Parts: sequence; structure tokens; C-alpha cells
Amino acid sequence: MEAEWEIEPGQVLVLFGPSGAGKSTTLRAIAGLLRPLSGHVEIGGRVVYDDDDAIWVPTHQRRLGYLTQQYRLFPHLKVSANIGFGLQDRETSARKERVAELSSLFQLDGLADRYPWELSGGQQQRVALARALAPNPEMLLLDEPFASLDSELRRTLRRELRGMLAQSPVPVMLVTHDREEALALGDSVQVINEGKGLVTGDPVAVLGQPGQGRVARLVGVENLFDLTIQDRNPRDGTMSCIGRGLQLEVPLDSDISGGEAPDGGVDRVTVGIRASDIILAKEALTGSSARNQLQGKVISIESRPPGYAVTLDCGQPLRCHITGAALEEMKIRSGQQLWAVFKASSCFLVDDAQEQQQDTES
Amino acid sequence: MAKLNAVNRLASHPAGILGGGGALLFVLFIGLPVIALLVRAAQQSDFLDAVTGDVALTALRLSLFTSIVSIAVVVALGTPFAYLLARNESSWLRVIDTLVELPLVLPPVVAGFAMLMAFGRDGLIGSALADLGINIPFTTTAVVFAQIFVASPFFIRAAKLGFQSVPMDYEDVAQTLGVSPWSTFFRVTLPLAGPAMFTGLGLAWARALSEFGATMMFAGNLMGETQTMPLAIMSAMDPSLDNALALSVMLLLGSALMLAVLSLLTRRRWQGR
Repeated sequence: MEAEWEIEPGQVLVLFGPSGAGKSTTLRAIAGLLRPLSGHVEIGGRVVYDDDDAIWVPTHQRRLGYLTQQYRLFPHLKVSANIGFGLQDRETSARKERVAELSSLFQLDGLADRYPWELSGGQQQRVALARALAPNPEMLLLDEPFASLDSELRRTLRRELRGMLAQSPVPVMLVTHDREEALALGDSVQVINEGKGLVTGDPVAVLGQPGQGRVARLVGVENLFDLTIQDRNPRDGTMSCIGRGLQLEVPLDSDISGGEAPDGGVDRVTVGIRASDIILAKEALTGSSARNQLQGKVISIESRPPGYAVTLDCGQPLRCHITGAALEEMKIRSGQQLWAVFKASSCFLVDDAQEQQQDTES
Repeated sequence: MAKLNAVNRLASHPAGILGGGGALLFVLFIGLPVIALLVRAAQQSDFLDAVTGDVALTALRLSLFTSIVSIAVVVALGTPFAYLLARNESSWLRVIDTLVELPLVLPPVVAGFAMLMAFGRDGLIGSALADLGINIPFTTTAVVFAQIFVASPFFIRAAKLGFQSVPMDYEDVAQTLGVSPWSTFFRVTLPLAGPAMFTGLGLAWARALSEFGATMMFAGNLMGETQTMPLAIMSAMDPSLDNALALSVMLLLGSALMLAVLSLLTRRRWQGR
């Protein structure tokens, strides 16, 4: 595992990656549940691990909140005892007060005397979060905290969590492989794969228009095309690219590699377009600002909650996400001819050259 | 409704018929001797005198004392050992794990004889101990030794399984909440493994109370010193059956009581059972 992070109080950093990427391992290392080979961990300004200075603070002295997808509520303790588990003073009024305060904050009033098995999944999740926050941790580690809930409950709790985190000034590190969750909760996101941090940045930028081919595939960019640059148009900041029956207007390749224009010799590029950035129309739009209009036949319609994924054959398959209402209104059927419309700026260049270089290094 | 179906299906199922017959025979087989013992005791006019007699009370006192000491030692040393076995995967511990179960399959008489070879006056370390003025064989200590030897696997095995049934995640979470590893053990691990451990404790205690062969070989049969209840029953057979009957009924009632207490202690109240 190789990566670096810094999280400000009140900020949520999302570690995003496929299972087995090393996300949970990272959290366990920060929590002190396993010992990294080397590195430096600082929580709330206090060094808890440093291999050079031989510092190792055991887990129970790190002042962390740690929440896993299984919650692990203590089955032999009632809700109130679970919430108060990490409070140092055993049977005082301060303790009762804190438990009561958290119970009402997490809408757990009236459940104090229940055992964990008597709670619903959402209630268990809230008890686990209340328990983690009760001792006022310096940092919160959340390992796929919503993974075992159904999607509707997940959305509700995600919203609640967002509100709760806004009130508590602790840095949060959240692990997930759910793109929607990363976008909803993250202030910044780091994409991780095979134990390496690939890219860190704003969730919308990193997950929406990732600049690296490897990242693009990890975050699931629906449309990726290998094209040849035909014609650069610096005045508009665009260029035309073609390949296998497809012609696209895309932003000029100065975007690639952090603003540096590659030498003029490069004429092959990989272009990504998010399926949700594409508008479907029954007829060609006239007088529109969108630089790209492609005609194609509908080859498949799949349900993709909460909407649908429609694939057009525009020389190459082009995937578009639309809502169920749009599908019904437009009466989209297989075999129908439709227009796909999108802006040049919805296209982004994916840097495959850099990836190949990295591959040869590793 | 579901329960009803299950019963009906079993009633016509061959396994149900065979199982029912088997159950009936089994109940008779176990129940008949138990009832016979009680009936015989009831017929005995001086039964109460025998129960409160010197032989019976001395044996009872010794049995209780030695078995409590044995079980205390087994629990005190066996609990951390069982935890180590449950949490550590190293191969040398696997070997020891197998060794722990040896007393389960070893005939107690052999165990007693082997202990004599080790701690006896001419034994492997017994002669050295004798030089230091420590004599173990044919003393009350030897009774405790014999009981620990045969009873420990019952507790250690059950405690190990109990600890294994507690996911390590619980301990991890407790520590992230600022609770030290020691405190975590007493507040989380032990309560969760508790029911399994009580089962083991009950079995181990029963085994210690009923110990006969190893005690006979290693500790002898001296009234007041090494004559525990099972040995006293054997010795009391000869002149009249009174004492044997009294002791047997006491052990029988004790065992029944232990079963009842155990089923209470091993209930997991947090699962609504």
C-alpha cells in the first residue's frame, strides 16, 4: 500500500476503489489494528505511528471512531450500553446524559432497553454510529458503512450522515466502491487500486471526468473511444477526432497531463463521455450550442435504477443514461433512429500514455 | 403451522418411526436404572441415617473440596490457554491443541499409572520432589492432580470453541472505542464466550466428581484423605448396600441439579432464548 492523505477537520475524504484495492487495509492501519511496514500517521496533531521514530500508539489510545459494514454491535449489551461502551466514566449522570444526547440526535429514543437483534438494519447502523461518536473521537473511519442496507435506506442514512458530519468537526475517512456514495459524501476522493493511490481530487472531477485511463475504467466511465486527431481548432479550444465511423468535437488536447500540450506528433487520443452527459433527441437539433450530434440506431435498452441505459450504434456503441419518464415520453424502442447530443466539454481526454508508462515501471 | 407440518411429516417418515422407537428404548434404558436407584433408596428405612453417616459425609466433603480446587485451577489456567488456542494459528499450537485432548481418549487407569511414573517416589521427577520433602502420590493433592488431568480437556475444548465463536471484529471495535485489550476481554470476549465456557465447566466438574480410575491408581483409597465419593461407593458395596446407595443418590441428585443450573447459565438472554 502506498498513498498519502491529509484531511482537515470536518472534511470527508473518500477512498474509492474496487474490492481488494487496499481500502479497508488502509483504515485498519490508521486505526492501529494492523501495523504498516513503514509510514507516518498523525491524528489530531498527535503522531500515532512513525517507523523512523519507532512510535506506535495502541488502538485504544488513538481516539478514533471506527465503523464497519457489519456494525458489530455488542450482542450481549442493550442499546444504551452499546452507545456508552466507550465512555470512560462508568455509572455517572454525565454518562447517562451523553447517551441520551446521542440517542435523540440519532433518533433512537425509546430503544435504549432493546438488544441489537431487536433492531432494524437502519437502527443498528445508527446505534453503531452513535457508539463511535460517543467518546468524541479525533477522527472517524467508515468502512463501507451502508453496504448491507437496501438502496432506499442507504440514501436516507447517507443524507442523515452528511448532516451529522457537518455538525461534528472531525476529519472523516470513508471507504466505498459506490460512486454515488462517494459523490454524495466526499469533499475529496482518492481512487485506489492494487494498493496504490492513483489520483486525488474533487469528487465530481475525479469521478466524473477522470484524466487517467486506469482511473476511468475503475470509476466506470461508460463511453471510451480510441480516436485519431484530424484537425485542431485552437480558436475554439476544440479539435475534431475520428475513428471507426465516429467523429467528435472534443476539447483541445492541452488538457492532457495537467495543462502541458503533448508534442504535435501525438495524434491518437482516448476520449471519455459520461452516459449521463448525453441528451437523446428524436430529430437533429437545429440552432443548438452542442458541438456533437450523432445519429444512431437503438441497439439495447436496459434498466439501470433509477433510470435506463440506452445504447445507440453510432459507428461505435454509445451508452446514454435517461430517466424512465423520458423513455416513456419518447417511446424509445429498439431499432429506432435517435440523435445523441452533447457538448464538446462533456468529452474529456483520458491519458493512456501515462498509464502505459506506469505499467512498464511497475 | 410450519411446526405442525414438520410433526405430521415425521410421523409417517421411516426415520420418524425408527427415531421414535429409539427414543423410547433410550429413555427406558437410562431411566430404568435411575428409577431403580430411587425406589431402592425409598425402601431403605435407614436411608437418611446413611446419608448423614460418617462415611458418606466424609466422602462428600472430600469430593466437593477436591473438585472445586481442580476446577478452579482448570478455569484459571485453562481460560487464557483456550483463548490463545482460539486466536493463534501457529503450527506448534496446533500440536499442543491435539495433546490437550489426549486425556479424553486415554483410559483413566493409564493416566493414574502414568502420573505415578512421573510423580511417584521412584518417578521421573517424584524422587527429586521427595528429596525436597514434597510427596504427591496417595495424598489429597494427588486426587486433585488426577481430577485436573482427566477433566481439563472438557473445559479447554469448550472454552476454545466459545472464544472462536466471538469474531475478532468485536474486539477491534471495542479497542477503537478506547477500551484497553484487557478490559475488552472482560467486557466483550468473556461475556460472549460465557455460555460455551459454562457448558465446559459443567462437563469438567462432572468429570472431576466422577473420577475413579486415575484416583485409585495415583491417590489410593484412604478415607478422609483420598476416598472421594465414587471410591467410597465402591468400598461401601461390601458390608451392606446402605452407604453405597446413599452416596449414589447424592451424586445422582447433584448431577441433576448441575444439569438444571447449566441449562440456565448457558442461555443467551440477549438472543431472546
